[in-house]
Amino acid sequence: MCPVLSHLDGRFESADAEAEHRIAVLYQEFGGPLLRHIRKSTGNDLQWAEDVVQETIVRAWRNSARLQWEPSLIWAWLLTVARRIVIDGRRRRSVRPHEVEPPEVDMLAVPDGSERALSAIVVAEALRSLSEEHREVIEQTYLRDRTISEAAEILGIPPGTVKSRLYYGIRALREHLRDKGVAG
Amino acid sequence: MHEEVAAYALGVLDEEDIEAFERHLDGCESCRRELKEFAEVPGQLDELKHLPSASEDDPPRSMSR
Ligand SMILES: [Zn+2]
Repeated sequence: MCPVLSHLDGRFESADAEAEHRIAVLYQEFGGPLLRHIRKSTGNDLQWAEDVVQETIVRAWRNSARLQWEPSLIWAWLLTVARRIVIDGRRRRSVRPHEVEPPEVDMLAVPDGSERALSAIVVAEALRSLSEEHREVIEQTYLRDRTISEAAEILGIPPGTVKSRLYYGIRALREHLRDKGVAG
Repeated sequence: MHEEVAAYALGVLDEEDIEAFERHLDGCESCRRELKEFAEVPGQLDELKHLPSASEDDPPRSMSR
């Protein structure tokens, strides 16, 4: 059972006080790292990033009966939920951030020598090493902020096929990155 | 159902499938393990956004070569 969520039972006079405390504990544990992650995907819009963190933490609290997991899994869950909130937020605002169209992997410029460009090159190489089918579903879903069913429609294949190709494509990507010493 | 973990980790699973997958996650040790591993992937793919395109003004090329 997750120590963050499990040790609070029965110490509070009211459900409200307990809820407040649980949310505070989640903030303390995950709020800072989550904000740093989210800022990148909101294009450094701090106000938006803070809103996303808040909504994510509240959802985590609502799911706290379910999230009886160890902290690293809760962290993975929080990242996933936060990312989803950012994507939904972009749609609501109809603001497409300028970086939403990814550069084509085989048209990339020479790196500028920074560490960041280096790891970007490694990721681009990993993507390029995949089969066409695998690369295509990664491009048409994550890299273009589309859901499985949206990508399925564009590609003219069933959603189940997109899910399956995405799964094996991501596994292949991870394997390639692991060989390059990038992934753990 | 197991294969949905990749879509879930990337945040591209359709809204109506999310809850069912989270219920699956509760009971599936292997998906929980893979979710932890795949949680790194969005950050790695985001690195691509820091790469300038070599020829941004060119007309878009077909994905397939
Ligand atoms: Zn599973």
